[in-house]
Amino acid sequence: MLPKTSPLPVPAPKLPVKTLLRSLLLLAACLGLAACQKSEAPAAGGKLTIGVAFETLQTEYWVAGFEAIRADLKQRGYTMLEAVSDGDTNRQLEQVKTFITRKVDGIILVPKDAKTCLPIIKAANAAGIPIVLFNRPADKSDAKSVAIVADNFALTRETVAYLVAEAKKSGKKHKAAILIGDLGDINAIGRRDGFDAAIKGHESVIEVVARIPTEWNQEKAQAGLVNALQANPDISFIFTSSDFLFPSIISALKSAGKYHKIGAPGHVILGGFDGDATAYQLLKDGYLDATGVQDVFFEARQSIQAVLDLRAGKPVAELILDPGFVIHRGNLTEKSAQMWGAQPAKK
Amino acid sequence: MSASAPARSWRTTAARALDSDYFVLWLCVLYIAAVAPFTPGFLSLDNAANVLATLLPLFVVALGQTLVLIAGGIDLSVTSIIGLCSITGALVMNGETGWLAHSPLAIPAAIAFMLAVGGLVGAFNGIAITRLRMPPYIVTLAAMMAFGGLAVWLTQSKAINQLPAAFNALGGRTAFAFVIAGAAGLAVHVMLGRSLFGRWLYAIGHNARTAHVSGVPVTGVVIAAYVCSGVLAALAAILYTGQAETGSPVLGQRILLDVIGATVIGGTSLFGGKGKVLWTLFGVLFLKLVDNSLNLLNLSIFTLTIVKGAVILLAALLDSLRTRLAGGHA
Repeated sequence: MLPKTSPLPVPAPKLPVKTLLRSLLLLAACLGLAACQKSEAPAAGGKLTIGVAFETLQTEYWVAGFEAIRADLKQRGYTMLEAVSDGDTNRQLEQVKTFITRKVDGIILVPKDAKTCLPIIKAANAAGIPIVLFNRPADKSDAKSVAIVADNFALTRETVAYLVAEAKKSGKKHKAAILIGDLGDINAIGRRDGFDAAIKGHESVIEVVARIPTEWNQEKAQAGLVNALQANPDISFIFTSSDFLFPSIISALKSAGKYHKIGAPGHVILGGFDGDATAYQLLKDGYLDATGVQDVFFEARQSIQAVLDLRAGKPVAELILDPGFVIHRGNLTEKSAQMWGAQPAKK
Repeated sequence: MSASAPARSWRTTAARALDSDYFVLWLCVLYIAAVAPFTPGFLSLDNAANVLATLLPLFVVALGQTLVLIAGGIDLSVTSIIGLCSITGALVMNGETGWLAHSPLAIPAAIAFMLAVGGLVGAFNGIAITRLRMPPYIVTLAAMMAFGGLAVWLTQSKAINQLPAAFNALGGRTAFAFVIAGAAGLAVHVMLGRSLFGRWLYAIGHNARTAHVSGVPVTGVVIAAYVCSGVLAALAAILYTGQAETGSPVLGQRILLDVIGATVIGGTSLFGGKGKVLWTLFGVLFLKLVDNSLNLLNLSIFTLTIVKGAVILLAALLDSLRTRLAGGHA
């Protein structure tokens, strides 16, 4: 039982309910003042305003996508409103609502994952604003959106098929490791399944001994690969679901004394996905065998076109696939102009 | 004497202004007046609704932080509590694989589980801090990592949707969220201002040893403060999960700076013994106004982060100044 009076010398703060109510009235007055004014008028004439909300700009791929959209919109004479939510779903919802407040003509969104974006899409639907998902599709639902996405499964299968063909040339059986992305991301699942499909039927050449979950995190990728290389020192075939993990892979290979150029004894067959600047440099230097390149410029162009088509009431497919391409030493000169990662590296 | 009188008067005025319950509210009004002419859409009904909707869950988490800061502690684990509670509720009630899928008990049971998990993590923090005499920031930082990792492990990093529409409405509909956040705010206000527990909390924050000598059950009160913080983080998880219509292990992972920043901007002292619900409300409002206006101004994430960091640093500086002025004044 608590005593009725405190023995303490500390005065308790006294904030009467009346004061609280007065304060809340003041606050309401502030918000009411805000509410009295009308929203901004929609963009007039042909100059459109497009809101571009990305979940992150932490990897080169997303920065390249963001810049490709910005450049394309600028070329068309449109205004771009930008927002990056830094991995926070609720913040992204808030940012999209801000776009809606500013009466944008269309929204291009990179969501955190396929599920948490559904309320965001619904908010845009309710406001009658077309919304296009860049590189990450949403789960099936009654929320209406269009997604432009790389054909992760097919492109990975094609890339890994090239790596398997290279492995066959060595005439020996290879132990393989795959670095898997965040399985909440449908792109990561597509790449994992593409890898499995390419390996299937080639068990006499490739034996998968390590499946490393990275959750798209470089530290986890490095720790996972170091552990895998300790458990299986004879791993000689590595595929990463994203090129941005190459620095971690190189570090782990160097520590294990297994980082050698193509053709050198002990070379670990390396493959990736994305086509970033690191992958381009590794291809040029002869360490990387192949990577599946997402055509960022195609995806940016298609995203904007989809917004325009939706605004015009034209029929647009719910899923637009970027076929991408596999790049390797054999076609590097020919294809590098289309590889987004080669652009900054060339400057 | 004549030379020191104006200086003393200035100090008194400054101390009074800084100590005013409405200091941050007036800052909000000034900020709105200063920024509105340059910020398209800032003064619109839609935007006011957007600010209010995003303010409410942050206010609820910040309430718990206020309690803990008043007691001289800090709770860095609130973000992982939000993620853990989010997936706990979703595991119970989701329509696909939920333990109580489609049951009329699904929503109340999920809410009860969420609040219980929040309370348990809070109790763990409180017990580790008081019984093991470990520093609060280390205990709660470790809890943030451990329970955040547990949430990711439980779901294998996957988000869970198909939550009942009635549950989603709790966070998704601003009116419901307003009632929940308002009730939580009122409860904490009464707890702090009208109960013995509140007096004990301030006393411990001022000087835990003196409070102990005066007969305050320091251990129990500190544990209770962390339990309250955990339960309020769980309540915020209900609102955030409802807004996102999805249970996610990483929900709220990035809001720690906002929670502590808003509480400190409001005037709750990082040194303990000082803080009010109203201050926290105004702190959250100010932070959200800054956030919202910078978004509307189409500033990049880098600029936005730098400005917010500067605002929070300024608030911490003001806190330090306020403490010094109050000390000098006394």
